[in-house]
Amino acid sequence: MSDPNPDADGDPSVFARVVAPFVDRSVAERLVISVAAIFLSILVGFALVLVSGRIAECSTAAWTMPITGLGFCYNPFEVYVVLFNGALGYPFAVGDPGLFNPGWTPFNLSFGLTLSETTLLIFTGLSVAVAFRAGLFNIGTQGQLVVGALATALTVLALAPLLPAGPVAGLVLIVVGTAAGAVGGGLWGAIPGALKAYADANEVITTIMLNFVAANVAYVLVLEVFRAEGSSVVATRYVPEYAQFPSVLFPASTDFALIALLVGVAFIGALYYFVEHTSLGYDLRTSGVQAAAAEYGGVNAKLTTVRAMTLSGALGGIGGSVWVLMSEGRWMASIPDLGFDGITVSILAGNNPIGVLPAAFLFGILKGGALEIGFRTDVPTELVAVLRGLIILFVAMPEFFRMIGRYAGVGGAGGAGSTKPDESAGGDGGEADA
Amino acid sequence: MNPAVHLDGITKRFPGVVANDDVDLAVERGSVHALLGENGAGKTTLMNVLYGLYQPTEGTVRLDGEPQSFDSPRDAIDAGVGMIHQHFMLVDPMTVWENVVLGNEPKTWGGLRVDREAAREAVVELSERYGFDVDPDATIADISVGEQQRVEILKALYRGADVLIMDEPTAVLTPQEVDELYGVFDELTEQGKTIIFISHKLGEALSAADDITVLRDGVNVGTVAAADVTREELAEMMVGREVLMDPATSPQEAGDRVLEVTDLDVEDDRGVEAVSDLSFELRGGEILGVAGVDGNGQSQLVEAITGLREAASGDVRYRGESMVGKTRRDRIDRGMAFIPEDRQERGLVMSYDLVENGILGSQHDPPFANGGRLDWNASRDHAEAVIEQYDVRPPDADAEAESLSGGNQQKFIVGREFERDPELVVATHPTRGVDIGSTEFLHDRLLELRAEGKAVLLVSSKLDEVQGLSDRLAVMHEGEFTGIVDPATVTEEEIGLLMAGESLDDDSVEGAAIHDAAGGGTDDTPGDGSDGADDASRDGIDGATGGDEGVDA
Amino acid sequence: MRNPLSPASLLESASESSYVRSLVVGTVGVLAALGVLGLAFPESVFGDLAGIVFSTSTGASTARLAAPIVLAGLGGIFAEKSGVINIGLEGLLIISAFVSVYAASVVGVGNAVLGVPALVIAFLAGIAASTFLAAVFAVVCIEFKADQIIAGLAVWLIALGLAPFMSTVFFGGVNTPNLGVSVGWKYSATMVVLATLGSWWLLNRTAFGKHLRAAGENPKALDTVGVSVSKVRYAGVLLSGVLSGVGGSALALSIGQFVGSGETMVQGKGFIAIVAYLFGNYNPLGTLGAGVLFAGLDAMQIRLQQLGYAIPDTLVQTIPYVVVIVVLALVGRTQIPEAAGEHYETEE
Repeated sequence: MSDPNPDADGDPSVFARVVAPFVDRSVAERLVISVAAIFLSILVGFALVLVSGRIAECSTAAWTMPITGLGFCYNPFEVYVVLFNGALGYPFAVGDPGLFNPGWTPFNLSFGLTLSETTLLIFTGLSVAVAFRAGLFNIGTQGQLVVGALATALTVLALAPLLPAGPVAGLVLIVVGTAAGAVGGGLWGAIPGALKAYADANEVITTIMLNFVAANVAYVLVLEVFRAEGSSVVATRYVPEYAQFPSVLFPASTDFALIALLVGVAFIGALYYFVEHTSLGYDLRTSGVQAAAAEYGGVNAKLTTVRAMTLSGALGGIGGSVWVLMSEGRWMASIPDLGFDGITVSILAGNNPIGVLPAAFLFGILKGGALEIGFRTDVPTELVAVLRGLIILFVAMPEFFRMIGRYAGVGGAGGAGSTKPDESAGGDGGEADA
Repeated sequence: MNPAVHLDGITKRFPGVVANDDVDLAVERGSVHALLGENGAGKTTLMNVLYGLYQPTEGTVRLDGEPQSFDSPRDAIDAGVGMIHQHFMLVDPMTVWENVVLGNEPKTWGGLRVDREAAREAVVELSERYGFDVDPDATIADISVGEQQRVEILKALYRGADVLIMDEPTAVLTPQEVDELYGVFDELTEQGKTIIFISHKLGEALSAADDITVLRDGVNVGTVAAADVTREELAEMMVGREVLMDPATSPQEAGDRVLEVTDLDVEDDRGVEAVSDLSFELRGGEILGVAGVDGNGQSQLVEAITGLREAASGDVRYRGESMVGKTRRDRIDRGMAFIPEDRQERGLVMSYDLVENGILGSQHDPPFANGGRLDWNASRDHAEAVIEQYDVRPPDADAEAESLSGGNQQKFIVGREFERDPELVVATHPTRGVDIGSTEFLHDRLLELRAEGKAVLLVSSKLDEVQGLSDRLAVMHEGEFTGIVDPATVTEEEIGLLMAGESLDDDSVEGAAIHDAAGGGTDDTPGDGSDGADDASRDGIDGATGGDEGVDA
Repeated sequence: MRNPLSPASLLESASESSYVRSLVVGTVGVLAALGVLGLAFPESVFGDLAGIVFSTSTGASTARLAAPIVLAGLGGIFAEKSGVINIGLEGLLIISAFVSVYAASVVGVGNAVLGVPALVIAFLAGIAASTFLAAVFAVVCIEFKADQIIAGLAVWLIALGLAPFMSTVFFGGVNTPNLGVSVGWKYSATMVVLATLGSWWLLNRTAFGKHLRAAGENPKALDTVGVSVSKVRYAGVLLSGVLSGVGGSALALSIGQFVGSGETMVQGKGFIAIVAYLFGNYNPLGTLGAGVLFAGLDAMQIRLQQLGYAIPDTLVQTIPYVVVIVVLALVGRTQIPEAAGEHYETEE
């Protein structure tokens, strides 16, 4: 045995160490933890609904607890039934005879809204995931999305008058607009990347700051320069209808375009291919899991950092393009928290591009279902926001599930945990496995 | 009278390893005792047992004859044992006095305030008593390493330590600071403190200690009084005689100059010069061994050659081309193979399978990459070929690197690097942690490379390895080559001296090749005639490299 | 023997880092220049600016706006110094803002329970809620070795969802009705000053402060002298909960209402708090200065708007963020505690 030498010479940054366990965990274990985290969040949400249902005041109890006879204002079972069933447009017949609702088609309003959210979350989820794979924590996807969205809206608005209206012009505008979004977001993402690589500035803080800067500057720009005349909100003009993703099959009010979803899925495939099957992808993920080995393998760490953040920003920017060209039709000040949801999606997906698809869909369901909860129950829709936070919290603590697994003696999480006995001691430099 | 410290038959086993095997150690009160041995000899483990960090598998720790049972360092501290780690346990941005009293602060105002005056006074009083010159208000980050060490000693003394354990106390000190430390030893022992220090440096043990205990492979080889022992005897005790290797090197003409290092200065992470003004050259078909105690600049030298660390000054020329400003990638592309010493941190990506690990370093090069796209089939074929040729077990390209044993990890790295078809192989500790069978296999492969006319720079702390494989053997000490000698004729004692920083130009040392290294003349040893031609060719090389490096200032 | 409480001693320690000194000098210099210019040219923009800066109402709203920033920032110092990066301060402010308003409405403004006035109970409830959430965060980070950044993010997002959720449950909307009380700015200012001085004392003069620092810089050094790193870190994180609780409650009770729409009434003040303590270089006095500066900018901008200057307020609000990025780019790594973000395991 060699003398222990706890002092890691090539001391990686604090955040690389922090991020390492999230990049490098076996796929199976990640899956188990993600699923367990979702269930645990639902369970806590259940309790929350129950407790607040007891506290809230209402004339008739929505649900009476068996045996105890206590009445509750909210029915926690109903909430989840409405959440999941409603997000899909009620395919399941609840309360009526028969399991399926005979009148259901997939092309309904609710499901369209769910898929619309899913589409946007695919891009922001990929954005966060690609940075994570390079060992970088990009909290700035939100800002990159804001910038990308504005770049798209302004580009399309500027180019539209130059082209004859029509489907061809629409296609050109969509492609060019999306490219503009990618460039805008990419440049915005390159800033923290370059600051990290060449000035050693912590990307977590710079990206949070740049989120605020992006939101504020874009707001002022639109307010002062690009505001649509007569608009009561701070927003640009609408881009022409033909330059928006068309809502084929789904009702136009869903703001959902199947094409955009397919583009998103294509991006998932492309990013997966990039990470797993290209030399640059190899450089990127090797930097993420084991920076010292990447350096040994000839990877330029600084350049990889800038590249990863630029790519991440570009994906966030494309998310913004899709938001403009599919959902909103214009840039407006109240941009939803898609970037932050992207963090949840990515973490839930284990930062695996393929995993982003189910994770984004799940989140799409939560967000689509939230609307249904608002329609159909008295439970506040903010429940879904709470669930989002809880899911992140639980996914962030793999050790908790490993502990449970160990107590249970068996089970995926426990088994996976016990194969890495030295993980708990891996605080110092991650030389063994991280 | 009982010895101050008596380790009685200590055995410490870890899963699969016996770190200490029935070690006895008795240290008299008021004496300085050196615990000498090579890396991995079990010195640190033994001291961790005394400090309560490890519980012995068998045996008893006695202080002043009283058996002790330490569950934690806390118990050891309470019993008067203090440890000064090689990496200081100091809080850099805090002041000296804050560090000394940390965890035992004197308080006033009902605990609401640290009694700064009392604490400073205690620190000043202690440092005056032992003749330390330390400013209690200085910030740790601002003071020298030697002063930091004295703060560590003060910390132990403040907690009432009677026995001070010091792990490699001179490892980070300048020669002047080392002298000062010896002065501190005198002060401490005069006042009845007992000092045990861990070292692998002969000279240091001889000059600082009253008694020396040598550990080898976890066994106490013997305890001697420093006054009654010579360097040569100590070196022999330390190194021992492991399985003697056949001198497998056959005579061979050296080829073209592959690597030329000129006036190279390299700094370590802290900005301290680790390689000083080093020059040598290496030709094709030649193995240059670099022996030396770990931490004498070998790592930095290797990193500067392979492109993982920028040299502070000087030049590294590879096949006639200057490598200054060339990236690691550039050097890989030019056919430099590198077996790194920390295989689990650098050599392999532990969570990748062998297919993925097989292309580490070649991920941009054909046949593994075509236009930026990775060809996993080619990569798999490559990994499987390496696995087969280098007998990696289990023979499964899909196995993750972390699931392999250390020896098999190493075989895979060696295979990957050798199959690059390199012109230069830089191998650091290629057989560390590798079983005997694999070791022989790896040695044979190194010799094959040499036969193919490749240049090999072999860095190892295993003397038998470097001696058995090298055409020339450089001994490194404090960033310099204290000598470049002929491994066939040099004795282990001589190597021990060189490793300790001594030069060999005094006539008391026998052995012809040493003079060759320094002078470059031919000087055949009688009875070694069969190697004459070989020697001559080597001598030529030695002369060209300027063996004067060997003369230590 | 020097009196450790003397202002000279405080000042000396405050200015021990040249960074803080230049911050203080710069701020004072700008204010002085503004005062002189304002007196010299009373009719110019300088005159208006000077009038604003030195007016009581600006001071009052500065104090009100500064309270959550400075208090959460102080809390952040304790957590981060101990080695736990708490980016969930925003969440702690949100939850305490809501709970304090809720508690006040339950007790009824003007009522008292066991002689304790409603507003005091409101504060205590806000502090309790924030501390509870901080405790959850601490357990998750220290016991279950969660990633501190992700867990902190989760704390923020949970509060961001939970506060409007509870508000809707209790009050039927994400915004609570206005209770019609307001805690005066003088109280806010007093709390801020007391908390700053108290924090400074705790960090620089007590054994706990030393342990906190050691736990964040070199936990092994603390462990080897027999102090539990976990306990110190728990204390640090819980203190961040307590202080943020005061800040969040002060924010909400200063207008007597919780606003839960969008980013809630906290509006990123928790993140600005992080910026404030980084800017103040982990020194409570520096944090106070930076917090007051940021809040003052905000307050000024409100007044400027009222005077008819068409400076977009959002642009003014952006200044702190840009400043932080520039500072980070120039200084590179902040003086972040060496072991912040890492789990610590006792050996064997």
